Amino acid sequence: MRRVLLIAKRDYLTSIRSRAFIIGLIVAPILFGGGFLGMALLRARPDIKDRRVAIVDRTGAAAELVIEAAREKNAKELFDKTTGKQQAPRYLFERAEPASDVNAERLALSDRVRGGELFAFVEIGPEAMHPADDTAIGENAAARRAAYFTNASGLDASREWIADAINDGLRRARLAQLGVDRSHFRDLLRTVTVERMGLIARDPKTGEIGAAHKRGEIEGFAVPFTVVTLLMMIVLVGASPMLPAVAEDKTQRVFEMLLGVATPFELMIGKVLAAMARSLTSSVFYVIGGTFVLVGLSLTALVPLSVHFWFFVYLLAELLILCALAAALGAACSSPQDAQNLGFLLVSPVLVPYFFLMPVLSQPNGAFATALSLFPPFTPLLMLLRQTLPGGIPVWQPWAGLVGALAFALAMTWAASRIFRVGILLQGKTAKAADLVRWAVRG
Amino acid sequence: MNAVEIHDVTKTFDAVTAVDNLSLAVPEGSVYGFIGPNGSGKTTTMRMITGIFYPDRGAIRVFGRQMSGARSEMIGYLPEERGLYRKMEVRPLLEFYGELRGGRNVAAEVQAWLARLGLAQWASQKVEALSKGMSQKVQFIAAVVPEPKLLILDEPFSGLDPVSADAIREAVLDLRRRGATVILSTHDMNVAETLCDYIFMIFRGRKVLDGTLASIQEQYGNDTIRVAAEGAAVEDLPGVEKVRDFGHLQELRMSRGCDPQEVLRALVARARVTSFSVMKPSLHDIFVRIAGPAAEEGSDA
Repeated sequence: MRRVLLIAKRDYLTSIRSRAFIIGLIVAPILFGGGFLGMALLRARPDIKDRRVAIVDRTGAAAELVIEAAREKNAKELFDKTTGKQQAPRYLFERAEPASDVNAERLALSDRVRGGELFAFVEIGPEAMHPADDTAIGENAAARRAAYFTNASGLDASREWIADAINDGLRRARLAQLGVDRSHFRDLLRTVTVERMGLIARDPKTGEIGAAHKRGEIEGFAVPFTVVTLLMMIVLVGASPMLPAVAEDKTQRVFEMLLGVATPFELMIGKVLAAMARSLTSSVFYVIGGTFVLVGLSLTALVPLSVHFWFFVYLLAELLILCALAAALGAACSSPQDAQNLGFLLVSPVLVPYFFLMPVLSQPNGAFATALSLFPPFTPLLMLLRQTLPGGIPVWQPWAGLVGALAFALAMTWAASRIFRVGILLQGKTAKAADLVRWAVRG
Repeated sequence: MNAVEIHDVTKTFDAVTAVDNLSLAVPEGSVYGFIGPNGSGKTTTMRMITGIFYPDRGAIRVFGRQMSGARSEMIGYLPEERGLYRKMEVRPLLEFYGELRGGRNVAAEVQAWLARLGLAQWASQKVEALSKGMSQKVQFIAAVVPEPKLLILDEPFSGLDPVSADAIREAVLDLRRRGATVILSTHDMNVAETLCDYIFMIFRGRKVLDGTLASIQEQYGNDTIRVAAEGAAVEDLPGVEKVRDFGHLQELRMSRGCDPQEVLRALVARARVTSFSVMKPSLHDIFVRIAGPAAEEGSDA
């Protein structure tokens, strides 16, 4: 144990004094936080240029009322009620007479969109006033719906805005056909906001029933996503340098000298401990930084203390998995190039579950999400994500996941130590996957 | 007492038998030289003694203790493949290695060794700033601090200039005088002859020589003539089966039963002989006889 700690101490001190560590400490949050920053900037400076939309109304009765609905929607949503600043683009609907040659008309309107004169054009099918129930399928599907033609790319929020206005206009047209006076339209078509609230509970100390709290995007998405991203970031920053470092020590033939004084297992565990300590060091910075952000935004209640506990438990389990894997892969390398090539394999236990974040977020207690989060390599990220969501998960699941993750981490360490022992003295030959399996099995 | 005892040890790597049924005893306090061609099994044997490799069969005892993977603080090891943390400064690096092996602060010993090998002014430099020879001396210090009871040196003199080689040689002898047992491998037969109490030669994984220089030479008898002659060829002399030409003198190996007087008579008849001596073969000659091309051809036939 003394030798393990000495090796860990040397590696730890060397790594945290390196420029790469200090730069990584600063750059990683910037890289990972860049997405959030971009979204915030977009919200702060929205595109408020007017958007002209041509309406081709083949019902013959809706265009004018759609234009009226759009005008009212603009008036309602265009300005921030507190600051009075324009916060969204104004949609200016104009009527285009339906032509007999549909394709020629569409081409002409498309050219106007391409030329920048129009933002988009909309065709309201002739049967859209009273469509059958199966509007989307069947022979006359196109006649029963409205089509939105645009060259807008990416996440196009305008479609939703325009759809709201068209539906509002069509409802007005139907009411007009029923003979309802226009002065009643606004009242009849008024919508109410549906507020998302959390469940209420009795305070265990006072026995009083607590108040329900509003739940929005931040609780349902931003907080879980940020916590999981933070975990991933710390793990990657901590474990990734270990692979090239082991490969470098191997190619510079440092290991044989060390093997005269320490066993391969002591060497590997020392290196794994150093990498874990380095990660915990960086995590202290990130967690303190994150806490300051939450305090500043008065959002501390969104991340309960239990999440902090599980965060560090999963962090340690994930680090053990990745650092052991890094040691094994590093020992299999015969050049720095090999270390670069194997880098993707190293980060896969973190990156693969990251791709499943959205499906798990959409149905966190579904069978798919539960099964994925109980799969040991994915447990640290996906279980933590589910635990951070407002609904919570059954109490047994984090513990079951933790047992699986720790068992997997220990098995990984055992296999890695066997690979490491054989690999570190092998020079001039890059080990193949079959070699790694053979070394892990036979030692 | 023997410092190292190797009993019937075999080590294979896939289809290659690196060490084949080897037995060896290294007496305590001796300098034991390992010789043999490249790839013959010297390094593998040393790695097994230090516990880096485990034998497939047989047993190794160091100071009576079975080696089973645990590193001994009694062993200092200088590997053939030189490698140090290039970004570390010399003094902290040596203190790290010393503490790792000895389990205690070795700052004073490190300082003394740095001064002894002329590296004191380099103590605060990073290893990457050192020349190859200086790095080798640093690595030697890492192997001897704190002072080990058994020192294993894999080709300690390769790449060293004569002054540095002498300094290492002196250090090795000094450690032996203070009771350490030294095992070293070398390709320099002169080093083996002059420095080692015992010589062990391994060839294709098998022991082919083991003993003192005198006992090894005794096995071959006085079958070598060293001669200096003016203006005459020494080839085709009766009873001479091999000639090594050193320029100013030649070394003749006699066939079994050959009388040196017959050779001298034949030589005098051809040229003016200025020097003629009958002697035992050198270690170099013995090495070549065992592992040279002629031996290869013989074994291949």
